[in-house]
Amino acid sequence: MEKTKFDIDNENQWCPGCGNFSILKSMKNAFITLDLEPRDLLLVSGIGQAGKLPNYLACNMLHGLHGRALALATGAKIANHNINIIVNSGDGDCYGEGGNHFLAAIRRNIDITLLVHNNQIYGLTKGQASPTSALGMKTKNQNHGTISNAFNPIATALALGAGFIGQGFSGNMQQLTHLIVEAINYPGFSMIDIYQPCVSFNKINTHAWYKSRVFDLKDSGHDYSDFKKALQLVHNKNHQIPTGIIYKSPGIPFHERLDVLKNQPLVEYSFNAAQLEKTLGIAQFDKGDNQ
Amino acid sequence: MHQDITILIGGAAGQGIQTIGALLAKVCHNAGLFIFSVDDFESRIRGGHSFHLLRISETPLSAPCFEPDILVAIDTKTYEYHKNTLSSHGIVLYNSNDSKKAESNIYNIPLELLAQQAGGKIASNTIAAGAVLAILGAAFKDIEQVLKEQFVKKGKSVLDLNLKAGKSGYDIGRKIDSSFCFDFTLVKHENMVMTGAKAAALGALAADCRFFPFYPMSPGTSIISNIVKYSDQLPIIIEQAEDEIAAVNMAVGASFAGVRSMTSTSGGGFCLMTEGLGLAGMSETPLVIINAQRPGPATGLATRTAQADLLFAINASQDEFPRFVFAPGGVIETFDAVKKAFYLSEKYQVPSIILMDQFLADSAKTESGVFEIGHEHKSFLEQETKLYQSKDYLRYKIIDTGISPRRVPCGSDALVRASGNEHTQEGLSIEDPENRSVMVEKRFKKLKLMKNEMAQPLVFYDNSSFFLAAWGSTKGSVMEACAKLREQEIDAGCIIFEDIWPLDFNTIKRLLENKKLIMVEGNATCQMGTLITQQTGIQFNESILKYDGRPFYPEYIMKKAKQIMGY
Repeated sequence: MEKTKFDIDNENQWCPGCGNFSILKSMKNAFITLDLEPRDLLLVSGIGQAGKLPNYLACNMLHGLHGRALALATGAKIANHNINIIVNSGDGDCYGEGGNHFLAAIRRNIDITLLVHNNQIYGLTKGQASPTSALGMKTKNQNHGTISNAFNPIATALALGAGFIGQGFSGNMQQLTHLIVEAINYPGFSMIDIYQPCVSFNKINTHAWYKSRVFDLKDSGHDYSDFKKALQLVHNKNHQIPTGIIYKSPGIPFHERLDVLKNQPLVEYSFNAAQLEKTLGIAQFDKGDNQ
Repeated sequence: MHQDITILIGGAAGQGIQTIGALLAKVCHNAGLFIFSVDDFESRIRGGHSFHLLRISETPLSAPCFEPDILVAIDTKTYEYHKNTLSSHGIVLYNSNDSKKAESNIYNIPLELLAQQAGGKIASNTIAAGAVLAILGAAFKDIEQVLKEQFVKKGKSVLDLNLKAGKSGYDIGRKIDSSFCFDFTLVKHENMVMTGAKAAALGALAADCRFFPFYPMSPGTSIISNIVKYSDQLPIIIEQAEDEIAAVNMAVGASFAGVRSMTSTSGGGFCLMTEGLGLAGMSETPLVIINAQRPGPATGLATRTAQADLLFAINASQDEFPRFVFAPGGVIETFDAVKKAFYLSEKYQVPSIILMDQFLADSAKTESGVFEIGHEHKSFLEQETKLYQSKDYLRYKIIDTGISPRRVPCGSDALVRASGNEHTQEGLSIEDPENRSVMVEKRFKKLKLMKNEMAQPLVFYDNSSFFLAAWGSTKGSVMEACAKLREQEIDAGCIIFEDIWPLDFNTIKRLLENKKLIMVEGNATCQMGTLITQQTGIQFNESILKYDGRPFYPEYIMKKAKQIMGY
């Protein structure tokens, strides 16, 4: 395999044949397409097999807690909105443990790119059902099958007004690379839910299973600016999996909503003792107004 | 004797008790008098029973007083609840249309009726304030000035109504004989009236805090409310997070990216933040958390005060890592502690926790100390130099102090990798046992230096026959109790802990050895006493513990101390 400037010498811990390898490769391809340097990138992740990804890439990295990557990334982006931030998360990490942050990130329209490695199973904890496991899926810990309906991330994101929603498949790296490029280029919150097989624990949603269901929205002439059509796609009852850009529409990113960030990132302000003294002076003597 | 008067204004939530208190406080403050006020309120917006305690003195105050000289009873409940705490020469201003006095020291004032006569029922609080200020000896022009400041924005008719109401109350107050007079001749002074919450907010600004994610929780929210006002003048972003877990993680994320960040909460929210606290510990990312304590567990008493999270704060989160814990004893102490917490958190790349409580956060006092910006905003971030090239950069480089040079991500070719997983010097995940041990030791290397940064407890009246030992917000009440006991020729000293963790307990041991200790704490298990015993082997003798959700008052501490010492 061709070496890239994003490769690093660190032993990869994923199972051989894991869909994560293709996601990692697609990311590198996308970064190269975008002419990015490792120094330009901050990868933020939580816990799970997907959360390990930044360890296998030349980049700046903040590897945090289970489910909390979006909150960490939001903080980092508010501090410095000039940084390119990409969050690698999984179906358990993002839609389960971190569900609240997923909702909030969409509402904030924080300008980061979320890549959810969705294998419809918990890999790192050895095969429990995930929020996206189909109803009735049997696992070691759900021995009579799951009893909750599957979470539909795309429908949820659409309902909340997300401005860039993509559906990828690890088996189509060319498309995934393109999706990642488009997502990074989108000013605002962009998410790509990426179906991937889990070769160790998910014996149902295998590579072949996905392969026989996915189709490229480009081929079907989908108009991704049409919200109603996007909604129809996610409530697709014929068990086909549409991939590509599901929905895209412009919005004002979080940092552009704040006057203080209009001219420069928060981190670049220098400490202004004079202004502070003035402010503290006012603060000290606004008599009795202390409630 | 200096004049030292306490006024209790009580009524139902929504009756404007705090408005009366604020008016009184402003007029007194303008005259150079010292105040200390406490708000006692229920977790409701309307009804119930709330009160505002306002102590006014000619000399500086460090504690509230629980025995009112003037009881302003807006409703019957207030009179019933507080008549027994009235000081020996105290009087009652009773909101009643009844012209017959029940007792010689009760003055019935028909507040609503008089307000209606002045032009509107809404001004009944101003009637009460006018009456109290007349009793205190203020001139009407002093009141007029404050009313103008307060109501000028609301238009002429509102101002006129309040001036009329103020005068009506004032005229009634003038007819009441009392010995509660102050000298209201205006004096120039630079004192300020401030709450702990506001001092915390200003401390954060002085320390160059620029990001303040939070989730609302009483009494931690009042710190945010105090910082919001300045967010248009300074580069600071205040963001309401989706929950406390998000708040702490957002703070860690921003801090990692080079912006000083803080969040504030109370015990329950702090519980949710503990995993994030651990992330700051493991990733060696600066973080400041204020826990304004309230009684728990669970929801406990939402609007009340407690000092029961001490051992929790020291031990919160999984496994072990160095951290700073501070418990400032007063308003200016809070300002300084927040600055110090930021400074040390940055310097050592460890989290800092500040333990406040509802009493400290919400109580207002006249502060004559100097609020200085200081040096705490100084950055410890490493800049690229010719001597230190990016390719050599290791975020967790092993060096003697344990404090690896810290850089912000995307600022140079150096790749900055921070992780909550155990990691190599480069920041990459690794499970190797040898690396693990080295990294645990690296993080703990800082501890020795950290201890040197901490102030020793304050000891007053060394060689006393016994010592009242307290921490945090109880400082003022304990110090006053101690001074008053000494006035009664009781040989009491006191010891106050404000820098809590990590301490050099060898020094503390020498300091406390052969001293008879009475711990004074707002919890049921004597947490500081336990910590002292655990760390030094020294047993405290007795304890005065309070866990009713209300603050310590000097009178209470004196009474208990006397019982214990057999006076």
